[in-house]
This record gives sequence, C-alpha cells and structure tokens, in this order.
Amino acid sequence: MPSDSDRLLIAQIRQGDGRAWESLIERYEGRLLAFVDRRLHDRAASEDVVQETFIGFLNSLPNFDENRELQTYLFTIASHKLTDQLRRLGRHPIKSISDSPSDLLNQQYDHHKGVSSMARSQERRDLESVAIEHCLGQMIRQWQEKSDYIRLKVMELLWIKGWANRDVAKFLKISEQQVANFRFAAVKKLSEHVRGAGLSAEVFPELQQAPGE
Amino acid sequence: MSVTREQLDAYIDDALSETETAQVEQALRSSDALRRQLRSLMQERDRGDHSVGAIWRRRRLSCPTREQLGNFVLQVLDAEVEEYITFHIRTIGCAFCQANLADLQTRQQEPKKSQERRRRYFESSAGYLAARRK
Repeated sequence: MPSDSDRLLIAQIRQGDGRAWESLIERYEGRLLAFVDRRLHDRAASEDVVQETFIGFLNSLPNFDENRELQTYLFTIASHKLTDQLRRLGRHPIKSISDSPSDLLNQQYDHHKGVSSMARSQERRDLESVAIEHCLGQMIRQWQEKSDYIRLKVMELLWIKGWANRDVAKFLKISEQQVANFRFAAVKKLSEHVRGAGLSAEVFPELQQAPGE
Repeated sequence: MSVTREQLDAYIDDALSETETAQVEQALRSSDALRRQLRSLMQERDRGDHSVGAIWRRRRLSCPTREQLGNFVLQVLDAEVEEYITFHIRTIGCAFCQANLADLQTRQQEPKKSQERRRRYFESSAGYLAARRK
C-alpha cells in the first residue's frame, strides 16, 4: 500500500506542483541510482537512466494506479529503462548469450511486443496477480507480526530462489518435514484464495506442486 | 547450487544481485540445457504465464520498509528483525533493498553530490511537469 505522504505527493504533482516534484526526486533518486548503477557500473550512464525513469514516470502519470506502491512502480520503470540501456550496449543478459539475430533467444525476448500472442488476456493475468499479491501479502504481514521469521525465510527460499525442500532445510537447520509443512499450508491457503476469487490456481507452477517436491 | 527457474526469471528482469547475475551468465554460457530452459521460460512469459515467486519479488511483498532499513544501518533493530533483513539482503539478494541500503549509506557520505544530481533531474524533467498543467 502507498504511504499517505506518497499519495499526497502524487496528487500535488498531478496539479503540476514543482515543489512536490522536487520532493519526489529528492526522495527516490538515490535508491534508483544505486539500483541502476549496480548493473551499469557507469555513474554518468546510470544518472541518464534515472533521468529517463523520472521522465517516464511523468509521462505515465495519467495511468498510474494510486493503490500501487510508488517506490515499486518507480523501480519497475527503472528496470525497463535499464534493460533498454543494456540492450543498446549489447550487454543485456539475453543479448549477450547470442548475438545472432536469427537466434531463438533474440526472436523471443522483446518486452515491447507479444501482446497479440498472449494465450490469456492481460486483464485476466492482472486479476491473478492482484489475487496473489493480496493474499500472500496478508500472509507475509501476519508472519512478520508474529515474528514467524523461520516460516518467512522458508517460503522466500522456496518461491523467490526456487530452492528444493532439502536445501532449504539444510540451510536453515530445520527438518525437511517442517519445510514441507510450511509449503503445504501456504499452497493450500493461496490456492483457496485464488479459487475463491473465481480464478484458476493451476496457472501458477508453485500451486501445482505436491507438497514435498 | 544449480541455477533455478526462479533465478532465471529474475535474471530476465535484471533483478538479481551482481554476483548472482555473473553466476547465471557463466552457467548459461556453459550449458545447452540451461539455455533451452531459458528459452522455454521466455516463451511461457510471452504466453502470459507467471508465478507466485515472480509476483512476490516484483511487488516486494516481504521487503523491509525504508524506516526499517534506516534502523538497520543504525543497528538499532531487534536482533531477530536485523537477522531477517540480513537474510533478505544477502541470501535472497533483493536488488531493491540492496539499492535502498546503498542509498542510505551514501546519503550520509556525499550530501552535496546528491543535491547536484537532484537539481539536474529536476531541471531536465520540469518541462514535462509544466506540460501537464496545460
């Protein structure tokens, strides 16, 4: 959820308030610069990408959903601008594994196209994302409030890093059964929520897996 | 540890830490199977498939707040929260939190440089803001 202060800032910027825009730049430029420079290692080029990010934000402001967290939105724009810059430099990961224009990698990866080829509609995909974000976000907040950090770590390693149960258990020095139990409970709750929203849980690979896999 | 599907997904988004990016690139250069897996993942993304892990990562559902990261720098957090943030930044390698942390640390060291940058950003974008008023 966006903070009240970010909401106010956005409202003021929408009115064309220069001081509010200055405040937004002051608040976010440093973290965006660090995020971009981590990949570019060129301070001047990174500053250009951050500049493009801010301009991109202003251009996309009419479509900005105020329920989205501003920082996450800015990082998303910065990621796209960074990818564009890396591709221009021939340093994007996908580009760097094959420079052959006929290579399948180059044919497949282009985030500016592909809309017509999507099997499911963007609208449906957005609904699925919102359902997961809502339910999982709530679960994570509950774990944090209860200081249940071991469960949070388990699920983060399983779903963000894609580690196997046994590797998670070994790393966190707990039993594989405990890892499997945490996974089972999370899969069950998320699947129920997604289905309750009238959506299919089967589109998510994590929710298709049998516990223990 | 081998490269996972989730790492590849984050790799396509340029969301891995520097170290992990280098590891994935090295693995991709030496493994046909991994390159095939990457192609397959890109096709899935093109079809509109997604995953719980990718939504979690992109929406930053477990990221500490900026205030918590500030307190982390000052080392005034409860031990268990501090330990979790260390895990999130180092083991998970969250690029967004790493950036926030780097910013908090450099803000104290180079206040003047930050001010100059901010002025440049403002001057280069103010025209777009003015256009919004019309």
